[in-house]
Parts: sequence; structure tokens; C-alpha cells
Amino acid sequence: MSELPKNLKYSKDHEWVNIQDNIATIGITLHAAESLGDIVYIEVSSLNKELKQFDKFGEIESVKAVSDLFIPVSGKVVQVNEELESNPEYVNDDCYEKGWIIKVEITNLEDLTTLLDSSEYKKII
Amino acid sequence: MSKTIFYKQHLDNNAKMVDFAGWNMPISYPLGIIKEANVVRNSSGLFDVSHMGRVEIRGNGAENFINKILPINIKAFKIGSAKYTLLINEKNEILDDLIIYRFVDYFLLIINASNTIEDINWMQSVIDKDVEINDITSKTGMLAIQGPEAIKVFNSISNNDIKGLGRYKFKNISIENNVVFVARTGYTGEDGVEIIFKLEFASKIWELLINNNVTPCGLGARDLLRIEAGLHLYGHEIKKESNPIEIGLKRLLESNSSNYINNDYIHSENIKNGLLTMTGLLVTDRGIPREGNEIIYNDLIIGKVTSGTHSSTLKSSIAIGMIKKDFNIINNTVRIKVRDKFLNATITKLPFYKRSKK
Repeated sequence: MSELPKNLKYSKDHEWVNIQDNIATIGITLHAAESLGDIVYIEVSSLNKELKQFDKFGEIESVKAVSDLFIPVSGKVVQVNEELESNPEYVNDDCYEKGWIIKVEITNLEDLTTLLDSSEYKKII
Repeated sequence: MSKTIFYKQHLDNNAKMVDFAGWNMPISYPLGIIKEANVVRNSSGLFDVSHMGRVEIRGNGAENFINKILPINIKAFKIGSAKYTLLINEKNEILDDLIIYRFVDYFLLIINASNTIEDINWMQSVIDKDVEINDITSKTGMLAIQGPEAIKVFNSISNNDIKGLGRYKFKNISIENNVVFVARTGYTGEDGVEIIFKLEFASKIWELLINNNVTPCGLGARDLLRIEAGLHLYGHEIKKESNPIEIGLKRLLESNSSNYINNDYIHSENIKNGLLTMTGLLVTDRGIPREGNEIIYNDLIIGKVTSGTHSSTLKSSIAIGMIKKDFNIINNTVRIKVRDKFLNATITKLPFYKRSKK
């Protein structure tokens, strides 16, 4: 098991969150990417959509399975990673950097307290 | 759960292991399903298929027994040849699809892991005197080496002993003083061999192949490759109640012998008047159809998906489905209901992929 980035927050649904000011960048963890296997399609909510914490914001599909994506913090979608449309393998190859999925403007800072840090997340995988 | 003789090799290679028909098998290695499939299309891949049932039919009555239980033309079935066929019981239910190999004085059947027990039980229930059924599954290992480089690699480790071996032919050869059964068969749409050997030779032959750059591939890649090649999988395209003609296997019903237990059935009008047909679906939207998804044409449900995957060769999703045969019009657009959305797909002749022959 490779090291989990310590600067990120994690959800029990295996998403990671990188917070910079009021913007949260969100992706799925290596653990999630590895258990899905080769990812071939990613579909996410459109720009400006307002999401409440743990709302479904998209689907991620691998050769073998499809999974729902749940937003770890409430927010408004400000950017989606369009590179993933033609290069979904970024999520397998580099899930914490090139494989980021969506960025939201955080609307409820209190949501952050419900997320896990890397050592807490490590215990549930 | 059962483990094959290669269990340790799978763990050593960091395979992701899954339960498959009661066997703990590698679904993929860290390379991943898509890259493993690409290796098989471009060079050569190694599959542990030791979970598949291996059953010998021996004894003086073996030929008559085979003639009784399989729809093959036994008179045209030559020693040293293999044949793909169906095991159908007296209730016209398809118990399995299998490959039969004819030796000088006995036959070998390679059957699906999921059906091994039921197949053997049924054969025992209709057995004749002077026939012996030997399950050699646990006494042997089996590997498939598949891909455009497979024959070359295998020749290099076997002293060119399979030079000139034709498709669907087999022979026993010797590698480092071990008898190895080699058949030029496979389940990927590529050229290659399937080999059987004693358990004590397993780790050595694995090592020989790996050292010759054959890449271990899991069941995930195997399934992707067989769907691209339009090959049936029991439980998906072939079910107990399937009509062999509807699923495109009419060519297997070659027996004309009145001793074949389903002789009347395979020549009946009933079987010829099937309503469905097996077809290919090339998906033009993003998403993978899965087994059971409905296939729709102009608001009419015309069939269901039996298998779906993402083709790395075609760079789009593909599926095999059973549809009403009147709607099997090549290049027609249909919609496939996948969860809560509809994906457009083009009706396509199978297979999706055919290797180029040298």
C-alpha cells in the first residue's frame, strides 16, 4: 500500500479533497481506483450546479464495474477535469494529480469537520 | 475456495484475486485489464486456465459413448484433432460448451469450471459399460499462451516441436523430459496454444514462459478478448434453455447418427424456427452495456444484452445481445437501457475483431 498524501482530506466513500481557500479539488483515492480497475468513462455534474454534501455528482465506470461519485463537501461546481474525457486512465495512473475530477466552491465550511485525515482514512481501507 | 497450482505465482505477481466458479483466480495483474488485452493483441499473454475441467473418456466403449452424447460427426473426427461442441442432455438443455480432443484410444474433454460437476454427473447418469470417466483436473495444470507471438515463443522453449501443428490440432511433446499436451486452440481470437502438464512441471513451465517475455494476464482480459472475438461464454450467450441455432451455433449440430440422444431434437422444425438471434452491438455513446440491459428499437424492446465490455482494440464499448431476428439489420441504430440512461448502438456483425492471417 502506497503512502496517502497527508495534505488531503478523505471521505468514507473513498474521495479525496484538497482545500485551497474556498475551493475544494476532488478525486478518488488510489484504493478506489485500484479496486475499480481500468477506468474508461467518467461523467460528472455540469458547471454551476449546487451540490449538498454526499449528493451524487457523477459516475465512474471501469471495464468491470460502475460506481457513483459522492461530493464530500457542499459546493457549487466551478470546474471539471475535461482531460479525463479522452484520458480516463489518468485516474488510474495519477489519481491525486492529473486524475482530479471536479472542483467546487465550498458553501458550507462545517462539512470539512466530517472528513477524515490520512491516518483516519488509512484505518478504513 | 479452490486454488490452482499457480496460486503462488499469482500472488507473487500481485494479482487481484476473485472468486470465479469456486476458484480463487486472478482477475488482473497490476498492468490492468486493458493493457493485458493489448499485450495479447500485440505480442503474447499467459493465462492460468487450470480451473477448467479436464475429463478423459476411456475404454472400449468410448467412441460409441461420445457418439451418443455429443452432436459431432464422429466418423469425420480425426485422431490428433480438437472440436468445439455442445453437451446437451436428454431434456434438450445445454449443460455446457466444450472442446473435445481425440487421442488414439481415448478422448479428452475440456469443460467450464462452473459446470464440471454437473457435466460429470450427467455423463455418469447415461454411461455405458466399457466406458470410464476420469476427472484429471486436480492432477494437472493448464495454461493458455495467446497472441501473435505465441507460437514463436512456444517453439523457442519446445525445440520447435510444434512446427506445422495446424489450428485445432494437438500433440504430446516433451519439454525437459516432461510430457506436455499442446493444442493450437484458444479463447481470445488470437493464434496460440493451450497446454496441459503434470503438477510437478507447473512452476518450471510458468518460469520458462515468463522468462521468454510472455505476460501474465487475468480473467478480465480474457473476457474482454473473447467478447471482441465474438466468442460465447456459458451462462451469458449460452444458457441451459438456449436454442443452439438462435445463438449462432448451428454448425456444431453435425451429427447424423441415430445413436445421438438428441438426434430428433437437432433435426426438428422446432429448433429451426427460433425467434431470436445473437448479434453484435457497437456502442456510439459513452458507457458500457451490462448483462440484462434491454435493447430497444423505436420504443420496442427487441432483446437483451448478454455480455458487454470496453474494447481497447476498437476504442469504444461493445456488447453481445440476443434480439428478435427480424430486427437484426446490420448498421441499424438501437438504444440500450443502461441503468437510468439510454446509449445508442449500431447493430454489427460478429466478431468485432478478427486477427489478420499471415
